[in-house]
Amino acid sequence: MSKKEEKTEYVKNGKRLDGRGTEELRPLKIEVGVLSRADGSCALEWGQNKVVAAVYGPREALPKHIQNPYKALVDYQYRMATFSVPDRKNPKPGRREMEISKVSGEALEKAIFLERFPNTTIDIFVEILDSNAGTRVAALVAASAALADAGIPMRDMVSAVGVGKAGGEIILDLNKDEEDAPDAVDIPMAILPRTEEIVLLQMDGLLTPEEWKKALKLGLKGCKQVYEVQKEALRKKYLEAEKEESEPNTETATQEEGE
Amino acid sequence: MKKKIVIPGELVSEERKQVGSHVFMENGKIYSDALGLVYNDSQDASVVALHGKYFPQRDDLVIGIVVQETFAGYIVDINSFYYSFVSKEFMRDRLQRGSIISAKILSVNEINEAELGQVRVFYGGEIINISPVKVPRVIGKNASMMEALKIGTGANIMVGRNGRIWAKGGNTQLLSEAIKKIEVESHLSNLTNKIENFLKEKNNNA
Repeated sequence: MSKKEEKTEYVKNGKRLDGRGTEELRPLKIEVGVLSRADGSCALEWGQNKVVAAVYGPREALPKHIQNPYKALVDYQYRMATFSVPDRKNPKPGRREMEISKVSGEALEKAIFLERFPNTTIDIFVEILDSNAGTRVAALVAASAALADAGIPMRDMVSAVGVGKAGGEIILDLNKDEEDAPDAVDIPMAILPRTEEIVLLQMDGLLTPEEWKKALKLGLKGCKQVYEVQKEALRKKYLEAEKEESEPNTETATQEEGE
Repeated sequence: MKKKIVIPGELVSEERKQVGSHVFMENGKIYSDALGLVYNDSQDASVVALHGKYFPQRDDLVIGIVVQETFAGYIVDINSFYYSFVSKEFMRDRLQRGSIISAKILSVNEINEAELGQVRVFYGGEIINISPVKVPRVIGKNASMMEALKIGTGANIMVGRNGRIWAKGGNTQLLSEAIKKIEVESHLSNLTNKIENFLKEKNNNA
């Protein structure tokens, strides 16, 4: 079995197993405002990953003793659906989900103007419907878009991407096959794109200092690409309405002239 | 005129200017803090948000719904972060849970709790909800949009700054359709004329 694994070439002629280049993202699709009852929401597809994020609030934090009179609380809940992985996942929040919820919530806290909403809580619920590596960054990207959709004042968006190593090469946005490579290194990272401030950084595996520098550079580049997609998604609704409007508008004008 | 749409953290102006709503300054540059439309002239820079919650402000007229009666007054939901309190002291009418009132905000404290005054009670009618950031478009310049809605639907309308619209009489079905249209197209110009035409068309067809 070990022989067979050694033979797997993760990068061949600059192409990866799924045909991507080493610095290429999986196809990313973001749509905001998908849930009518939430204050802000977002549906995201990133390769095989499928994520829905909902934002409620700022609303009064209850029970009262958790309130902070100086700033709002951020309650970020990352959950995986039972059917999101090959074997059924126990719906009970596990150690992994609690950790991801904590670090992702702290990443978003850096971006939000919390001090404007004393005694309140901003609830963010992210459900992973389908997963194929890199769900925590996908969840963060979706949550950030949902926060903007909810109109919560923010210093910047949060853009995130996974970067790492498989088969001895530094690659962007690893999928599950690459994450399972024998020498795999996985680095989920999130930044505020305007200032390039890093708000989330985790690493799993070992890298040399040179490899790390290369990975960080590639990660920042990937985050910027993700940011452009977020920007596009948030503006899309309004630009489309504008386009639709400009055409019938001329029609009505001519009609009035005819009358 | 086409206005630029910005997202949170996007640059609004590189010059030093008066900082308006929904913008913040960092290292001498002005950035947006919300998804909205840019208003930028030689004096000041601001962003009109397209989404968001209601922030109570002094002298705002709001429409509230009574949530609970207490010994001394009523607890009123004004669609903000907290419920507000209205004293029974100067009130002739007895209210119930679900009663609709309008009130002026007398003061707001540092945690955004609002104190209400000048309470008026509404009997009958219905409430139409809209995003609070879009209320200025429902009123229009010199209340032109409200006038158009009143003429077009024959309804009595009260618009609260907190995103609640009270309407009684007339064609409220048509009114809620028109308000939905305003909400969807709030970022486009020449909206009042469009709504006037829309109402005319609907009335002619009926």
